[in-house]
Amino acid sequence: MTHDVFELMNNATRPANILIVDDDQELGEMLRDFLAPDHLKLTACLNGEDGLKELQSGKFELLILDIMLPGISGLDVLKKLRQSNDLPVIMLTARGDDIDRIIGLEFGADDYLAKPFNPRELAARIKAILRRTKQSSRRSESCELGDIALDPRTRRATVNGEPLRLTGTEFEILRCLLETPGEVVSKDKLNERALGRRFMPYDRSIDTHISNLRGKLERAGAINETIQNQRGVGYLLIPGI
Amino acid sequence: MRSLLVRIFLSFWLIIAISIGLAAGGGYYYAERMRQAFENFEISDTVIAASNALESSGRPGLEAWLGDLPSNYPVNVFVLDRQGKDVLGRTVPGRIERAIRRFDQRRDSHREHGRERRNLRPARPLTQLVGPDDELYTLFVVPKYSVYGEWVREQTRMLLLLLALMVSAIVSYALARAITRPVHKFREATVSIAEGHLNTRVSDSMTQRKDEIGLLAQDFNSMADKLQRSAQQQVELSRNISHELRSPLARLRVALELARRQTGDLAEFVRIETEAERLDSLIGQILSYSRLETRDQDESTPIKLAELLAEVVEDVRFECRSEGVQGVTVDFNQDQEPLVSGFAGELTSALENVLRNAVHHSPKGGSVTVELSSVGEQARITIEDQGTGVADEELANMFEPFFRTRSALATPELHGTGLGLAIAKRAIEKHSGTIRASNRANGGLRIEIELPVRPAVD
Repeated sequence: MTHDVFELMNNATRPANILIVDDDQELGEMLRDFLAPDHLKLTACLNGEDGLKELQSGKFELLILDIMLPGISGLDVLKKLRQSNDLPVIMLTARGDDIDRIIGLEFGADDYLAKPFNPRELAARIKAILRRTKQSSRRSESCELGDIALDPRTRRATVNGEPLRLTGTEFEILRCLLETPGEVVSKDKLNERALGRRFMPYDRSIDTHISNLRGKLERAGAINETIQNQRGVGYLLIPGI
Repeated sequence: MRSLLVRIFLSFWLIIAISIGLAAGGGYYYAERMRQAFENFEISDTVIAASNALESSGRPGLEAWLGDLPSNYPVNVFVLDRQGKDVLGRTVPGRIERAIRRFDQRRDSHREHGRERRNLRPARPLTQLVGPDDELYTLFVVPKYSVYGEWVREQTRMLLLLLALMVSAIVSYALARAITRPVHKFREATVSIAEGHLNTRVSDSMTQRKDEIGLLAQDFNSMADKLQRSAQQQVELSRNISHELRSPLARLRVALELARRQTGDLAEFVRIETEAERLDSLIGQILSYSRLETRDQDESTPIKLAELLAEVVEDVRFECRSEGVQGVTVDFNQDQEPLVSGFAGELTSALENVLRNAVHHSPKGGSVTVELSSVGEQARITIEDQGTGVADEELANMFEPFFRTRSALATPELHGTGLGLAIAKRAIEKHSGTIRASNRANGGLRIEIELPVRPAVD
C-alpha cells in the first residue's frame, strides 16, 4: 500500500502545495529546504491575516498552523477557515499545553504536533494526510447505515439526507466505523486509517476526534447510531434498531 | 465616612449612659424613701397617735391602738418592751432585732475598750415612749413592702425598666450584628479565594456602604482583582517563556535534520537530538510545575477516577510494549467508581508521572500493581513496583523538585528531569489530596495517593 502511494506521489508532476503559518521566519525557511526533497512545496506566512489571504487562492492541499501567533491566534485562523473549508490542518502546539491541543482538534484540526518537533515526524504526518486524501478519493464505494450515509467520492456525509460537515479526519473515522458496524475497531487501526500513523501512548487525538464526531452526529439528529468506547481496545458503532 | 466608629462609640455610650442613669435613679429613689420614712417618723402622726394612746390608757391602750391600725396602713409598727418583745406578741422581723443588737453592741464595745467617749452619741436614737408605769417602749416602723418590691409594684416603673432593657438589648444586638455580619462575609470570600476561586468578590451591598466596611470591601475587591490579574499574567508569561525557549529548539532540530541529510548520521547528532528533547521536556515540566499554582478552582470538573486511571494505565502499558522497558506488566485492580473533582489534564499527568516512575524502576519482566479503592471519604490509589525501593532517609525528599536518588545520580541518562514526582505531588495537593511513599516489606516502592471524593449531587 505504501509503495503504491509513493508511486502515486512520485508520478505526480507537480509537488503538493503546503502553507505554513508561523511567526518564526527562519524555521519556515529551514522547513522549506527540509521538505523540498519530499515533493512538498512549502509557502511560509508570518501571521494569521496573511495566512487567511493566502488560503483564498485555493491552491494549498494542507495547512500547518502554529497556535501561538502575533495578532489573530492560530485558533481564530482555524475557526475562520473551518467556516467554509475542509482543508486538512496540522497544528503546532506547545508541548504540555493540552488545552490548546484539545481546542484545536475540536475546532477541526486534523492532527497536531508539539513544538519543537522532529521534522521527520512532520514530514511523515504531512505525507500521511495527503495519502489519505488521495486514497479515499480512489476508493469510492459509498456506505450507509441507518440515518448516516457517506459518499467518499465527494467526501460528503449526510444524516437523514441533510448534509453533515465533517473534517477529513472525522470523515475517515466515521467511514472506518461504518464499514464494520457493531464491531470494535482498535485505536491503532483508527489512527492508521484516519491519521496515517500508528497509535502513540499519551496521544488522545483519536478520542478527541471521536468526541467531536459524536457531538456532530447528535446535533444532526442521528440518534439511533451511537459510538461506544471499549476501554483499552477501541471504538465501535452501534447500529440503530 | 467614619460612621462605624461613630456607631460603635454612640452605642457603647448609650448603653453605659442608660445603665448609669438607671442605677443612679434607682439608688437615689431608694435612699430618698428610706430617709423620708425615718426622718419624718418622730414627728409623724403615727408617733403622736401612739403617744396619745399610751398616755390616755397605758399599755392596754397602746395595744388596742396597735390592733386597730387599718390594714392598708403604709407601714408596720412594732412596739417593743424592755425585753425586746413586741407588745402584741408578734414575731419581730430579723432586721429590727439585728438593728437593736448592733446598737447595743456598739455601746458595749465602746465600754470594753475603756475609751468611752462621753461626747459620742448614736446618730439616730430610737424613738421611745415612757408609759405611766415607767415602762419603756421602743417604736419601730418598717415599710410594709420592701423598697424594691414597692418600687417594682408601680407599673409604669416596671414598664420603664423593661423598655430600657429591651432598648439596650436591641442596640447591643444591632451593633454586634453590624460588626460580625460583614466580618462573616469577608471570611467567606477569603476562604473561597484561598481555595482557588480567584473570581470571588464581596457583593455590591458591601462595597457601596459609606463606612469603613465599605472601604475595606472596595480594597478587598481590588486586591482580589490584582490577584486574579497576576495569576493570569503568570499563565501568559509561562506561555511566552515556553514559546521563546522552544523556538530556538525547534530551529535546532530542523537544522540538525538538514545537517544529517548532508553529512550522514553521526553519533553526535543522536546526542544532540537526545539533549534537545531533554531540554524540551524540562522546559515543559518546569512550566507545568509553576502553572499548577495558578489554576482557577472554578474551572474544575467532576472526574471519573477509575476511567482516568484506566486510560493512564493503558498508555503506560503501551509504552511498556514499545519502549526500552522490557516486559514490565501493569496490573490494574479497581473495585470502586469514585468521582473526584479537579482538572483532568493535571491529574492525568500526575498519575502518569508516578506510574511511569514505577515502571522505569522495575526490573526486567517485573510487574507494577495499581489499585483503586475507597477509604471513607477518600479515594485511594496505590502503585507498587518490584524495584529496589528508595533509601529510608531519601523517602521524605522524593517529592522535592530536582531531587534524585543516589542511584539515579549515577546514571542520569536513564532518568527523567527530576520534576515528575514533584509535579505529581503539587497536582495532588492542588486537588486537596495527599501522596506518600514507603518501601514495601518485600522490596520495591509503594506510592499511596488519596483524593477526596466529590460529594454526590442529587
